[in-house]
Amino acid sequence: MEIQEKLGILSGAARYDASCASSGCGREGSAVRVGNTSQGGICHSWSDDGRCVSLLKILLSNDCRYDCAYCVNRSSNPVPRASFTAREVVDLTMEFYRRNYIEGLFLSSAVMKGPDQTMEEMVRVAEMLREEEKFGGYIHLKVIPGSSPELVRRAGLAADRISVNIELPSGESLQRLAPQKRRESILEPMRLIGTEIGSSLVERTLSRKAPRFAPAGQSTQMIIGASPETDLQILRLSQGLYRKMNLKRVYYSAFVPVNDDNRLPVLAAPPLLREHRLYQADWLLRFYNFSAEEILSDDAPDLDESFDPKTAWALRHPECFPVEVNRADYHTLLRVPGIGPTSAKRIVAARRFASITPEGLKKIGVVMKRAKYFVTCSGRPFEKEVREPLRLRQRLLLGEPAPEPRQLVLFS
Amino acid sequence: MTRYLYDGTAEGLVSAIAQLLDSGTDPMLATLAEREDTLFEEGLFLRTDSDAVEALFSKLKQRAPDAVNAIRYCLMGDAGGLGTSLLRYVALALVHGDRINGHLTDDDVKAVVTMARKAGRELHRMKGLLRFEQMRDGAYLARMEPDHDVIQPLARHFSRRLRAQRWFIVDLRRQSAASWDGSALQFGTLEQFSRPELSDEEVAVQEMWRTFFRTIAIPERRNPKLQKSNMPAKYWKYLTEKQGE
Ligand code: SF4
Repeated sequence: MEIQEKLGILSGAARYDASCASSGCGREGSAVRVGNTSQGGICHSWSDDGRCVSLLKILLSNDCRYDCAYCVNRSSNPVPRASFTAREVVDLTMEFYRRNYIEGLFLSSAVMKGPDQTMEEMVRVAEMLREEEKFGGYIHLKVIPGSSPELVRRAGLAADRISVNIELPSGESLQRLAPQKRRESILEPMRLIGTEIGSSLVERTLSRKAPRFAPAGQSTQMIIGASPETDLQILRLSQGLYRKMNLKRVYYSAFVPVNDDNRLPVLAAPPLLREHRLYQADWLLRFYNFSAEEILSDDAPDLDESFDPKTAWALRHPECFPVEVNRADYHTLLRVPGIGPTSAKRIVAARRFASITPEGLKKIGVVMKRAKYFVTCSGRPFEKEVREPLRLRQRLLLGEPAPEPRQLVLFS
Repeated sequence: MTRYLYDGTAEGLVSAIAQLLDSGTDPMLATLAEREDTLFEEGLFLRTDSDAVEALFSKLKQRAPDAVNAIRYCLMGDAGGLGTSLLRYVALALVHGDRINGHLTDDDVKAVVTMARKAGRELHRMKGLLRFEQMRDGAYLARMEPDHDVIQPLARHFSRRLRAQRWFIVDLRRQSAASWDGSALQFGTLEQFSRPELSDEEVAVQEMWRTFFRTIAIPERRNPKLQKSNMPAKYWKYLTEKQGE
């Protein structure tokens, strides 16, 4: 098979995987090295669906033994199959990198003969890039559930980031939709990676020469809307992964139906709005000091479609507002809808010179459309006391673009 | 209000600022603009003095290192209309140090910081969007027409990243060029330019990249508007993946 044809099959097969992160790790180019990775993360292009392209994201193979309900590549689907050799992937990565198409490689794979045989081949790609090609760009490897600890370790030493997909938000759903994968064979490598990353960091404080283990950290990904879990369950899971397994990122991927299967829900469209709200809530977990239980509760276990989770929280907590922008500390400012970390920092910096005026707030970049209901400026409110929750909801809604039509979810 | 003029170059602008501040001119009572060789233009012309530029930068580096960066970035932009703001910004930076960048409620500071941010954003964008093409002799060439004069920091970025290959970057809007021979970086101007022929391998690799680009998009999620807002059409001219669409 021509390499061009393989590339078409194996990048098409990888596209349903949400992750364009190549940030979080700086690696300087040395004299012999080809390439470096940038701290901020660089997008090299945006594909026709508007997503950032920064990595050569492909599968090593789509020739799968397993039969997961939600996956195009499952063994029972009659799709064209292809597998790259390790050398082919190495060459493609180098040619693309030299032309500045990409930051590096994101390699995943279907399960070929078995987890270890597949993982071994993937690790070989990363090792060839580092050792033979002296490649200093970014490498992200997906760990195949059930791979042996030794291979996971080698993967971590060659790659910048490794990740194990948690796939679905609960063990029961995994059992139902991906019966050949066990929850434990996913959590075990995750735990191992977490520990290795931790001890590599410790060793490196003692010696700069100690090897780096997945310096850009560990991430995972789950499919949203293929199984019945609530947003609260999902956020609790993410919170646990951040706190206990030390994960850098959890990616949420709206379920795109590609198979007919009576274990799967029938969706009118992929739940994109829900995915978007989950990312916003996840952001609150990581950067705003919110907990899952503050964002949602057992009575209201799903994210509001009309409001972003921070505004929704503010509406439920009128007792915390209004916030005085000239006095409130950084963390209090952060909780105001329309004020993000950047503008909160700018407010704190600007008021050292003089009290901030309403004009000043706009210049700083605060989204006044939203913030005006929740702040005062040197004691003066912006809106004539619209503090009554129901009316406030209305006002905010009128000022917001209409939410996308509700997506129909029917479990069969 | 006194009107001062400089020669229109970035160096001339900084030199004029240095001279005005040295002479004790009150920046709030002065305006600074580019000379437009009209016969009866009003204003005092300040000659470019590179020593004054260096002296000002070294003073600023000590007192406000971040402000130096903001000025550099601002100068990569079309700083022509910003002479007066830049003058006042520098005066404030010398007094307040780097805290000045937080003083966004001041119009002059805001104008300078905004311009610097825009230029910085384009520089960052070009780090991703620049495309190198292999020519028949094995060296690589990248063409661009950015809004801001980003070639110097951009070339420095690639001298760290693509250090094992020979390459050129040309800015066809400003007729300037950078080259890397595997060990040293050089800058120069272009007299004339015609694009050399591509290597055979290049043609094949470009075809593969287009295949990859086409197949990674999720058809159910097509979103040309989002694509355009992230990657404005003005950059498509030299994007390999946007050729022959
Ligand atoms: S293991 Fe499951 S999800 Fe992965 S490629 Fe095979 S069928 Fe798809």
